[in-house]
Amino acid sequence: MSQVIAAIGFGLVTASILSIASVGFTLQFGVTNVLNIAYGSVMISCAFVAYYFTTIGVPLILAAALGTAFGAVLSVLMNRVVYTPFIKRGTRLFGMIIVTISMGLIIQNAILCIVGPTFVALPVGSGAVRRLGSIVLTDSQLVVIGIAIAAMLGVHVVLKYTPLGKSMRAAASNAALARASGISVARVSDVAWGMSGALCGLAGVVLALNTASFQYTTGDEFLVVIIAAAVLGGIGYPYGAVIGSAIIGIGMEVASIAVGSSYKEIFAFAILVLVLLLRPQGIFADIAGRREVAA
Amino acid sequence: MNLAMQFYLTTLLVFLGVNVLACWGLNLQFGVAGVINFAFVVFQAIGAYTTAVLSMGPDTAYGGFQHYILGNKLPFPLPLLIGTAVGALLGLLLGMIGLRRLRSDYEAMVMLVVSVIATKFVTSDTGLLNGPAGLALIPHPLASTLGLAPIDYAWFYVGLVAVSCALCYVVVHRITNSPYGRMLRAMRENERAAVALGKNVAAMRLAVFAVGGGIAALSGGLLAGFIGAWSPGGWLYVETFTLFTAIIVGGMGSNLGAVVGALLVPVVFLEGTRFLPTIGSSEVMAGLQWIVIGLLAMAFLWFWPRGIVPERRSAYAPGELPSQGSHPALPLERHSS
Repeated sequence: MSQVIAAIGFGLVTASILSIASVGFTLQFGVTNVLNIAYGSVMISCAFVAYYFTTIGVPLILAAALGTAFGAVLSVLMNRVVYTPFIKRGTRLFGMIIVTISMGLIIQNAILCIVGPTFVALPVGSGAVRRLGSIVLTDSQLVVIGIAIAAMLGVHVVLKYTPLGKSMRAAASNAALARASGISVARVSDVAWGMSGALCGLAGVVLALNTASFQYTTGDEFLVVIIAAAVLGGIGYPYGAVIGSAIIGIGMEVASIAVGSSYKEIFAFAILVLVLLLRPQGIFADIAGRREVAA
Repeated sequence: MNLAMQFYLTTLLVFLGVNVLACWGLNLQFGVAGVINFAFVVFQAIGAYTTAVLSMGPDTAYGGFQHYILGNKLPFPLPLLIGTAVGALLGLLLGMIGLRRLRSDYEAMVMLVVSVIATKFVTSDTGLLNGPAGLALIPHPLASTLGLAPIDYAWFYVGLVAVSCALCYVVVHRITNSPYGRMLRAMRENERAAVALGKNVAAMRLAVFAVGGGIAALSGGLLAGFIGAWSPGGWLYVETFTLFTAIIVGGMGSNLGAVVGALLVPVVFLEGTRFLPTIGSSEVMAGLQWIVIGLLAMAFLWFWPRGIVPERRSAYAPGELPSQGSHPALPLERHSS
């Protein structure tokens, strides 16, 4: 039993990283309607940017902030320079998937060409160990949980209480109506890519903080879990993504006791398949249904 | 032609044939029927693994240095045929997931996840198919019976692949150039309209999943028999992306286009780049190849979305509709029933 409770503790950490990543993924999809498979590659590129800054002596917190900012800038640029021109030219659903996979491959292999296939690690001491009953977490893991809570609250405030958030939600639920109401969908889309990119970058940095070491393919591997969490919560629906992340994150760690840690992604996958067979619009959302992701 | 050149040529020809097979299978699914199977390489893999374990004998052979299930030593065409059948069965199974109609990009994403997880699963379980190391010493079909010199055997294998391609072409050509092929295209163009016309869309989707899966498995089995080894590193999801790029470059929906794509993308780009001077390490070269493939896919989507050999449009121009008199062979009585 205590083993399960300890696993729930690790699950909270995984769920925290996952929620930052999946909220960014799903938010951008909700507003812009593009499924961005390059997300995992962008994520790990941000971790590498943060890593680069730490190697030239920048303090870790500043390096993390720079990694996050890099995610935002790269995402906005990707949308402006690549995705939007393709959409304007008439590339649709499947074509856009090919474009985003291409971008992911290009980013990921650019990292490979620049830094090589080596594993690197952020210079972070795990700090003191805190105990709460059977839950044992290090200071750095508590920081990760704290960052995630702060990020979620930030997203909530932006979406709920700012005019910008209101226009984003409007664009997500009905782009044509939003445009008719005088909302600049292009600007909103820029903001969505920026926010999503920042969350993506932050997720990359905290993923790097929490893993012993990372490599150019680490983000790609994590993408599978992000997709499972986002689909479970109803893709395009940020609040659903948080709940999806909690279920997948904690479930994965608990499952790893039962079936071994190398199979924990397979738990996420099993949930994904079940959701798709039973309720492809996700368990909470009605947005996905309205957007016709699933008929 | 000297011996080294002959070996190189036969290897390229086998790769080309295997890729042509795979592209035909994928083209049938995606190009013709509009079914997006981003787990395509998994079908190649299951064909390769099945063919391998059914021809290698029990895993206690060779001093038991590799572990796998279902080891058996069946005579030549059986492992390949069973592998093909298993691929078709997997197609039916995976096609079931796709029966819940999803938006096409969403479906692609889900299949991508299936592919990644399948690799992860086989890599994690070392007792299933020898884990990340993969299978080695897969017997070359008929090698001991024929007793040929290595180079003659290589040419024999080219012939085997060519025969497989010919048989496969008959199958895909008959499917795509038939009323059934028109139904598949109708499903691709407008699924609701196809349903409204009373076509069983679910059955058609399962059928292309099974046929395409079988062809993919056959290509995988042929490849494994030629190389003599098969491991998870050889069927990462990006391999499916290469095949999709080949179809896009060649021309979606066109069987000839699939051949052109198979020639240009996997063979020329992934093999031909060996002739270029090496820049940096081999990892950097591999990275550059993927960057080029990504750029190529985007360039074609931007400039030539219909590919080099566009699908022949079967529609008639206005005023060009054939009158019934011009088709005396049409069984008119069937229309009245």
